[in-house]
Amino acid sequence: MPKEQQKINIDKEKRVFLKPGKTNQEDRINFVKFWANYVRTHSDKEWSKQQNIIINSQIR
Amino acid sequence: MEYNLKNREITLHRIPSELDELVLRFTSIIERYVKYTIISGYISILLGRARATEDVDLFIEFINFEKFKEMYNNLKEEGFWCLNAEDPREIFSFLEEGLAVRFSIEGKPIPNFEVKFPKREIDKGTFEDFLKVHIGGKIIIISSLERQIAFKRYYLKSDKDIEDAIHIEELFKEKIDYEKINKLRRVIESIK
Repeated sequence: MPKEQQKINIDKEKRVFLKPGKTNQEDRINFVKFWANYVRTHSDKEWSKQQNIIINSQIR
Repeated sequence: MEYNLKNREITLHRIPSELDELVLRFTSIIERYVKYTIISGYISILLGRARATEDVDLFIEFINFEKFKEMYNNLKEEGFWCLNAEDPREIFSFLEEGLAVRFSIEGKPIPNFEVKFPKREIDKGTFEDFLKVHIGGKIIIISSLERQIAFKRYYLKSDKDIEDAIHIEELFKEKIDYEKINKLRRVIESIK
């Protein structure tokens, strides 16, 4: 199997899916956990680049 | 992100946000005069929570008026102003009454820094178990994660606060001292 294909498969195996909540509150909490897991499993650079879009847009 | 429990330090390799830069700018001034500890929502944001905020809350240890005036003058020189009053004596009297005063970049009310003296014993405890967060070669002092979780879950309790607590719990699952949270919970419930 080509190296690139192997990488795609590994990424697919690692992927965690967000469980839809039955209420707005449950859905929000599920996302908070989903995002916390993303922060835990990705580099600081990767998650902070995304988070900074939210934070920096408020300050400008 | 690395949490060194023994040294009570968190090291972030994140790209500092503009809010982080502002916090560093503000705290680099006040730490010349007084010990501080950041409490509340900004801690979750610093540690990755995907939300914005309009204020950053912090406790400063009690200082006398002369020292406060020096700090206030320095803040003004560096482009901050107080949203509550201009006269340092008046601002200090608010603090002495146990009220919080807010500082922001001159002419820009948000985001702002909500500063107060710790009143209750449990608040004073924030200076005993604080954490150092290393970011961009600088340090931000925050209250312990357990204290954060306990206050958010059992004192503040809004949806936003519960979500902030969940974020920290999920992030540091194995390193959180749940016994300490329960002890703090009992103290919080006794003062309400």
